[in-house]
Amino acid sequence: MSELQSSLLLKKQLAELNKNPVEGFSAGLIDENDIFRWEVLIIGPPDTLYEGGFFKAHLHFPKEYPLRPPRMKFVTEIWHPNIEKNGDVCISILHEPGDDKWGYEKASERWLPVHTVETILISVISMLADPNDESPANVDAAKEWRESYTDFKRKVARCVRKSQEECS
Amino acid sequence: MGNCLKINSSDDISLLRGDSVSIHGHQDQLPHEQLQQVFYPAPSVSIMPIPASSTTNSHMSEEDQIKIAKRIGLMQHLPIGTYDGTTKKARECVICMIEFCRDEAVRYLPCMHIYHVHCIDDWLMRSLTCPSCLEPVDAALLTSYETT
Repeated sequence: MSELQSSLLLKKQLAELNKNPVEGFSAGLIDENDIFRWEVLIIGPPDTLYEGGFFKAHLHFPKEYPLRPPRMKFVTEIWHPNIEKNGDVCISILHEPGDDKWGYEKASERWLPVHTVETILISVISMLADPNDESPANVDAAKEWRESYTDFKRKVARCVRKSQEECS
Repeated sequence: MGNCLKINSSDDISLLRGDSVSIHGHQDQLPHEQLQQVFYPAPSVSIMPIPASSTTNSHMSEEDQIKIAKRIGLMQHLPIGTYDGTTKKARECVICMIEFCRDEAVRYLPCMHIYHVHCIDDWLMRSLTCPSCLEPVDAALLTSYETT
C-alpha cells in the first residue's frame, strides 16, 4: 500500500462523510493540506453520562493505512475507563495487527484493514456508552466506575459541562 | 479460536507436508483440476520487516526471517485469478475501496473472498486473517488440503 493509495482512500472517506454525514459525530482535517491528520467532534451519545457533551478528538493515520491503525486522542478533557488521562484512546480495534504476544485479544477484536473513520468512531461512541473495565487505560476512572459510581458520574458531568463551555 | 497468529500452529507449514503437495516447489504434483484457471506465483511482497513487529534494532533475527519465509511459502498456496466482472458479491477491494477492473489479478482466500493481490499480500504479512470474514487463512488452507 503506497502513501498515494493511503491518501486516496482517506480523501474518499472525507468526501463521503461530507456528502453523507453520520449521526453522532462530524469529521474534518486539522490542516487542509494534511489528509493523514483528522479532527473529529463526537456528540455525547444520548442516554449516557456523556449526553450533551461535545468531545473533540484527533486521529493520526500512518502512511501504511489501512494496513496499520491510526492513533486517536481526545483533545477535550474526558473521564472514561478506556481513555487515558492524556486523552489517548485505548480500544482493541486500534491495536496493531500481527502477533499477539500475550494471546488475550482475538484477531477479530484487533485492527482490520476494512476499518474506516466511520467504523472507528462508531466503536468509540459505543465504548463511551459501554466501558470495558477488563483492560482499563485510566485505572482511577475504572475503579471509580466500579466502586463509587456517584463520584464517577460527577467527574463525567464536569467534563460534559466543560466541553459545552469550550464549544460555545 | 482467537489469535490470528497462534505461535504453535499458524506458521507451522510442516503440517501441510505429507499430503500430495509439498511447500517446496513440487507444484506440478497438484491435482490437475486445481491448476485450471489459477496459478501460484510468489506473493507480491518483498522480504522486509513488518513495522508492527520490528523493534529498535534494524536487523531481523534469524527466527523472524524464517517466519517471513514460511509465511510467503504459505501465501504461495493461495490461488490468483483474474476478475471476470461477473462476480456479483464483490465489486471492489474492501482494503483499498477501489473497484476491480476486468481482467485484473485478484487473490482468492480459502473463504472465497477476493482482493487485489498487492493489497491482500501486504495484509497477510501482518495478519493471516481474512479482513472480511476473519477466517484464519492458515487453518482454512490446512482444511482445504485435508478434504481434497
